[in-house]
Amino acid sequence: MVEIRIHGRGGQGGVTLAKIIATSRFLLDQSVQAFGLYAAERSGAPLQAFCRYDDEPIANRNLIYEPDHVIVLDPTLVGPAITGGLKPGGWILINTQESPEAFAERYPLNRLATVDATSIARDNRLGTRSVPIVNTALAGAVGAMLGFELEEMQAALEHLGFTGPNTTAAALAYERLQRLETPLAGEATAPAEAPTGNGTTQARPTCARAGRGPSFVEGAGGGLPGIQTGQWATEQPRRQQYVPPCNHVCPAGNDVQGFLQALALDETDRALDILLRTTPFPAVCGRVCPAPCMESCNRIQLDETVNVRQLERWAGDRGRAVVEPLAIRSEHVAVVGSGPAGLSAAYHLARFGYDVTVYEAGPEIGGLLRTGIPEFRLPEEVLDREIGRVMGLGVQVVTRHPIDRRELLDLSRAYDAVLVATGLQELRSLRLGVGDTDAVVQGIDFLDQAHRNKVRVDGEDVIVVGGGNTAMDSVRSALRLGARSVRVVYRRSRHEMPAIREEVEEALEEGVPIEFLTQPVVLRPDGSDETGRRRYHLTCRRMELGDPDESGRRRPVEVEGSDFEIVCHRLILALGQSPDMSVFPEGTEVREGERLLGLLETPVYAVGDLATNEGTVAGAIGSGRRSAIQIHNALSGAHVEITEHAERRRDVDIWQDEVIRADAMRLHLFERLPSSEGTAAPPEARRSTFDEIHMGLTDPAEAKRCLSCGVCNECDLCVTYCPEGVLSRVGHDLVFDYAYCKGCGVCVTECPRNVILMSQL
Amino acid sequence: MPLKLVTGNHAAGYALSAAAEANRGARGAACGIYPITPQTEIVEYVAKFPFTKTRVVPVESEHSAMAVSMGASLAGARAFTASSSNGIAYMVENIMVAGYYRLPIVMVAVNRTLGPPWNIWADQGDTLMLRDFPWLQFYCEDNQEVLDTTLLAFRLAEDRRILLPALVAMDAFILSHTQTGTSLPDQADVDRYVPELDLPHRMRHESPTTLGGLVWPDVAMSLRLEIDEAMERVDEVLGECRKAFIEQLGRDPGAAVQTFATEDAEQVLVVSGSIATTAREVVRRRREEGERLGLIKIKMFRPFPESAVREACRGAAKVAVLDRNYAAGIGGIFCQELRALFQGDRDGLVIQGYLTGLCGGDVTPAMIEDVIADLGGRVEAGKPVWMGMADGKGGNR
Repeated sequence: MVEIRIHGRGGQGGVTLAKIIATSRFLLDQSVQAFGLYAAERSGAPLQAFCRYDDEPIANRNLIYEPDHVIVLDPTLVGPAITGGLKPGGWILINTQESPEAFAERYPLNRLATVDATSIARDNRLGTRSVPIVNTALAGAVGAMLGFELEEMQAALEHLGFTGPNTTAAALAYERLQRLETPLAGEATAPAEAPTGNGTTQARPTCARAGRGPSFVEGAGGGLPGIQTGQWATEQPRRQQYVPPCNHVCPAGNDVQGFLQALALDETDRALDILLRTTPFPAVCGRVCPAPCMESCNRIQLDETVNVRQLERWAGDRGRAVVEPLAIRSEHVAVVGSGPAGLSAAYHLARFGYDVTVYEAGPEIGGLLRTGIPEFRLPEEVLDREIGRVMGLGVQVVTRHPIDRRELLDLSRAYDAVLVATGLQELRSLRLGVGDTDAVVQGIDFLDQAHRNKVRVDGEDVIVVGGGNTAMDSVRSALRLGARSVRVVYRRSRHEMPAIREEVEEALEEGVPIEFLTQPVVLRPDGSDETGRRRYHLTCRRMELGDPDESGRRRPVEVEGSDFEIVCHRLILALGQSPDMSVFPEGTEVREGERLLGLLETPVYAVGDLATNEGTVAGAIGSGRRSAIQIHNALSGAHVEITEHAERRRDVDIWQDEVIRADAMRLHLFERLPSSEGTAAPPEARRSTFDEIHMGLTDPAEAKRCLSCGVCNECDLCVTYCPEGVLSRVGHDLVFDYAYCKGCGVCVTECPRNVILMSQL
Repeated sequence: MPLKLVTGNHAAGYALSAAAEANRGARGAACGIYPITPQTEIVEYVAKFPFTKTRVVPVESEHSAMAVSMGASLAGARAFTASSSNGIAYMVENIMVAGYYRLPIVMVAVNRTLGPPWNIWADQGDTLMLRDFPWLQFYCEDNQEVLDTTLLAFRLAEDRRILLPALVAMDAFILSHTQTGTSLPDQADVDRYVPELDLPHRMRHESPTTLGGLVWPDVAMSLRLEIDEAMERVDEVLGECRKAFIEQLGRDPGAAVQTFATEDAEQVLVVSGSIATTAREVVRRRREEGERLGLIKIKMFRPFPESAVREACRGAAKVAVLDRNYAAGIGGIFCQELRALFQGDRDGLVIQGYLTGLCGGDVTPAMIEDVIADLGGRVEAGKPVWMGMADGKGGNR
């Protein structure tokens, strides 16, 4: 009689393999038995099957304790248990990619055979990719191993109704079987691993045990066998983290998800603390940022975006946090320019411990934050408060001190590093065929004068040319400075306006007309009006949108014969700015993150708009931070990372570098909730005052709408729904008890934010 | 102690409630309850009792009633319930589980005929259906015995040497709805007699465990043997509980097997439940007439009190077993137990079965006289005799 024991996992077809082998002998008129040993099997659980065949009638119905041969369906089951009772010299057939020699040392007393039945099954599409059914391939391998004809095995398959790919798989395995005929028995007296028979595997003891088990009353329910059901798993959940879209797009590099989640827990101070890791200006950005995070918010697919801007303002205005240098360093760094880029760089350098001096050409620091953004959007005291935070780190300031090319060289000798953050000083203009006239002013200058109370436009008709924030700020300031009428002329359409959407909307609310697709062509004096003011005629031409230009926006094309005229007293140009490179040596190429060459040994970097031409406060803050980190790494030899992702959770196994999109979220698990806009003064009340329009949110509850995309926020739905109770929260860490996790995947499907990933074992 | 006039149901309800209240210093008590005639008064009584630390949970079925009681017991509370007839049939799955879980739950059962046909009167078939489950079973003769046995059952079942559930049965209406003078012990006495429960294998949230999961045959068999050994210890522990009862409450709650005039009896009647009273009176009268008759009342059916029954039958040549129950295809269940007991031991002993008072039929002195007459005429045992049949199939009609 020949007895074979098969070790497999539930779902792999081990019992059927026993039947196939038995059938192949049965068809040759032998007496056969094939049976499984059933317990608490689930898919993936280790199980055993048995096959007997004999020329004589088989007269016993016991389990097989001393098999002639053993077949292992799953290479992960290779271990001491498989040789329990196995007769010396018997075959061990293992489904594996490895050669039999790889197991020779482990099983010195037995003949070994291997075949990659898994690949054969997958290639022939037997079962699924995760649980390929390997039995028909192994039937072929068993035939080759035991010296049966392939036709005998195929006849058995046909008898049992297996056709097509199963027959092919059997033939392939028959052909590919590798054998190692000679056991090492001469060299070894005992198996390298003694079979244990019992223990943590579900394998039945190799012989029936006699004697008493543990008591039901005193022995924890009668001594349940130590079945670590994690063995059944073919997949396991892993903790992963994605990059939330808001973090990815934030020009300042803020951990948006992080501070929102802190606010969601009503932890305003911690939210501010998170923001201050990347930006010294949360209260500023909470007012003036175009907030690309809000455009990228996955919540838009559910209802509407999270009001990140207002929440950042909440944290900036209401939070309390102490910022201190993280170390003390001896190097000195000069920063040229005190706009957001310069101050951001100074802030981060000072936090790294450097001695920082900021040089500012004007009388006050803050750059365009102070002179270019009107108070109704950014009150000066808010700006002063946040600048005070930078100064509080010990940053020195030298005002009324413009730096030219020669002085830059001096700085580079006097300091260990120099950052140039002079922004966009060159203002674009228009040739309108009129000579130098004070009726035409640059928006930046106009806003600066307004800030210093040096200009009024009482009774004037004011035209502003441009579609950016400077245009909107200028026209709205003109309105507040007494203009009789205001009008914006913009050569593209609403869609192409670079200004913050909300600012355009507010201008429209305040009654500002915008002439879209209109290009000023000629400005001509037109005498004086009744009050003696000089008056001008502005000839405009209608435009239409053509093909996209290098900025991706559709290029405006003139419409022939569409000229028309507008009367005005004052024309404000807000056409954009470009960097003034005259501070650098001729031919210097400026790129963010690259030190400028030719300036002695000292690293000199261009920072902010000067380097990026990006044009937002947040972008300038981000550039300043990145440059500060680069300087720090260069001066100190450190390797501080420039991250733009959420804070990495300690318990994460898999770091996904990609941004998580809405379709990867389980949005159906979230409730739809309206967003909070915060309160604002009505348009009619704000047209005559520079008081701040927005009053902000009344509480941070809006943050609870943040989905925490791709980042675990400890909602613990997974812990609640884990049917096995193998998931727990230990401190902030999510802990899987893999010894008992069967890989059912409920935690994955219940995770609203996709931070658990099933991975194949 | 002064007697109070109470029904068997109220005697049971009082005993269950007082025992539950007695655990107030420990983990309290709880029961799932569901009404069914003729048991309803018991759970009504319990539901109205002013407990200190007991949860009475009305549920939607008997199955759930036992489930609640099991859950409470697993949590370490003193647990109990009551039911009857088809309600027990519906509860069966959990009754079985409670036993194999080794939970010392006490259930009072009012023996009522299993339907169909619908019938609400006395018949032991409902609880004897559970005869192969790991439960202790007691069949009471009167209301006092119901009360005393219920109290004793808690102490016995909860003893660490036993830890098996206990069933206390009484005949429907004959006891359940019949008022007789009954002595109700004070709460203080009950507190003393039924000590606080400390279930060794109770569930603890701080150390979660699985009870009753899959185990291999050898372990499962070992646990059955553990139950058998607990059953073996019942005689001894019951003796202790009875002795303590007598000492503390001044009254004998009754032995597992109670005999009357068996010392020199040639013929013995074996009875259980309320029939015992009537039968004892008939035997007493016949002994006065000089007949060597005796009576054995089997109060404890599980574990079956083998040695006591064997001893009580020592001198007898013939035994009549009166069963108010019927196992289809074989006859009375107590009769089968007797025959199994003496098989191979006293093969000459005539053990004749009589089916008396099935489905609530009245067992009168005349019927018992007929049984005695039939037994007297026998030289060997035969098929069970159906007593009181209208169509004359049985013996007496």
